[in-house]
Amino acid sequence: MKNRRTRWYRSLALRLLFIFWALLSVTAASGYLLAVWNKPKAELKPLEPEIYQTLQPLLSDALTFHSLQPGRLIAGDYRVAAQLSVQGSEKLLMDEMLRVSHGSTLLRMLGQDSPQQIPLDERLLMGPFELNGNKILVTKPLGIEEQVDRERLEAESTRARILTLLVGSGLLAVLLGIWLIRPIRRMILAMREVADGSATPELKRLPKRGDEIGELARALSQGALDLATSRDAQRRLLSDVSHELRSPMARMQVALDLADCNEDDPNWQQLRRDTERLSVIIERILSLSRLENGLVDLNHESLDSGELVQQLINDMCYQHPEVRERLLRHGSNWPVIDTDPELLRLVLENIVRNALHYTEDNVELSCDDYGKGCHIRIRDHGPGVDESTISKLFVPFYRGDPARHHKAGVGLGLALSHRAAAVLGGELKAHNHSEGGLEVVLDLPKSQPEQKE
Amino acid sequence: MRHSVLLIDDDTEMSVMLTELFKRESVDLSVAEDGVTGLDKALNGDYELILLDVMLPGIDGMQLLQRLRQQHRDTAVLMLTARGDDDDRVMGLELGADDYLPKPFNPRELIARVRALLRRTPNTTMQNESLNVCGIVLDPATTEVKCDDAELILTPTEFDILRCLMQQAGQMVSKDQLSVAALGRKMEPFDRSLDVHISNIRKKFPAKPDRIQTIRGRGYRLIASL
Repeated sequence: MKNRRTRWYRSLALRLLFIFWALLSVTAASGYLLAVWNKPKAELKPLEPEIYQTLQPLLSDALTFHSLQPGRLIAGDYRVAAQLSVQGSEKLLMDEMLRVSHGSTLLRMLGQDSPQQIPLDERLLMGPFELNGNKILVTKPLGIEEQVDRERLEAESTRARILTLLVGSGLLAVLLGIWLIRPIRRMILAMREVADGSATPELKRLPKRGDEIGELARALSQGALDLATSRDAQRRLLSDVSHELRSPMARMQVALDLADCNEDDPNWQQLRRDTERLSVIIERILSLSRLENGLVDLNHESLDSGELVQQLINDMCYQHPEVRERLLRHGSNWPVIDTDPELLRLVLENIVRNALHYTEDNVELSCDDYGKGCHIRIRDHGPGVDESTISKLFVPFYRGDPARHHKAGVGLGLALSHRAAAVLGGELKAHNHSEGGLEVVLDLPKSQPEQKE
Repeated sequence: MRHSVLLIDDDTEMSVMLTELFKRESVDLSVAEDGVTGLDKALNGDYELILLDVMLPGIDGMQLLQRLRQQHRDTAVLMLTARGDDDDRVMGLELGADDYLPKPFNPRELIARVRALLRRTPNTTMQNESLNVCGIVLDPATTEVKCDDAELILTPTEFDILRCLMQQAGQMVSKDQLSVAALGRKMEPFDRSLDVHISNIRKKFPAKPDRIQTIRGRGYRLIASL
């Protein structure tokens, strides 16, 4: 399947551009709308009688009235804002500043039948006052109290505006984030699954999109499938080859027994040892592949770990009487655990065998119980392992010390233990003991998780 | 006395070598290379032991064993199973195999197992007095077993296990002891054969299968009286 390139019109760059643009315009628009909505509505109100009474006497004289041009003070703070005279040619004069900012309001006021008042910025506009068809509008600065009132209102509306803006843009940002981040998170999850070695990763939840993220998802999906296939093929090859090697190996063993050879002949003994060794390698590869492919059925039982370890020690001493002095079990608080005895024994046996094999001194087994699980420790008194290679101990076919190759086992024992420990829901770790020697620790839960590997 | 053993296995080269190997041990080995011939030989020949491979062309080892037991042939059967295939082992034992040996095997191990199974054939029974415990009557002379007056049809291995338990009724008999008595060998780690045989015997009891008690991890006990 070819991974199609992202088309330009679906490209993430374009989408992002569009989204940011949309985001900005929506924010701006919402800001503007809020500003409009929240502006305190200046409303026409009938003129207060006191003011009317104050002004009326001054405006009853026709001559004076005619001379009241915009800008003139009438009395006190009262100043003329506009004048409409109908004598001769009709003429409208307005205060220059007010005309610029509130021209329409002035005209509306002049059209009123009876005197009204309206707040304009820091002033109160009043009118029209009429005499012989001539009209004037008057302004008066607002009092301190009125100004404070206005400012408070203004401040409140500004705060509300900022809050709404923040919430609105935050909401948009969250939406954008979800749109961008969610597909990426899904890909991360899928990738983890692939990394964990799933042969058939669950790839259905990968985002299906036309942009670069979709392209990445498709590329990832293809890569994951290829990887899983090749990993599977590799495992299967190893397993198949081992299967095929089994029958000839078995025949070789019988043939060796039948061969008319002197049993003391070193060549014959070598042949015999190597045949044994080869069959052990084959068996271990097959066990490993069964464990890795989850083909092992677990038989849970509650068992006394101390008894199992003692049994293991007894069996090993029986097979190899020379280790009787070296193999020690410490402590008495070995817990009862719910696990698969066969696998647990496999884990421990390989580690113990390894320790006995690679070191000369004692090998000690101990256990500490920490409630939910226990740590079973297998410690030797050898030279330990170089810190840099300690993590490779559990890699199949890795050997700690190539110089001792001839004496070594097959390099699969610890890998097998490691895998089996994982199948049991536990973990195997190795570290150099502070007082020398290598310590391998099996961290094992006391009860098995329900799901199977 | 020469023993006669039938090997049913499709690996010709192996069969040739095993024939030679067994000849040295004074055992006559006949070979059948597929299931049909194998079943035919097993039903019509007079063999003391059958070595049965599970993977066979024609009818496989399991089916062959089932048909053999359906005909009430209680010839001892040693199953040769692929190592690690637990299901095969348990299934084989449940179908009435006496023991199993995982492939590939060490030839000496095979010979030891064969010898053990041949040694315990019924005609070598030493104690002949009849036993009567817990509602079970066992007569070694006629190899007849009755439980609550119903006849039980047991394989020789099951017969030996039951007899061993009856001889020590009321006491715990260790798994090792039972294994030696019935299979001629000690228990191996995670050996399931004895457990399956015991479970087979329990299934054959007309009532009260728990007259054989399990002593966890150690052995079994037949209760002295009901």
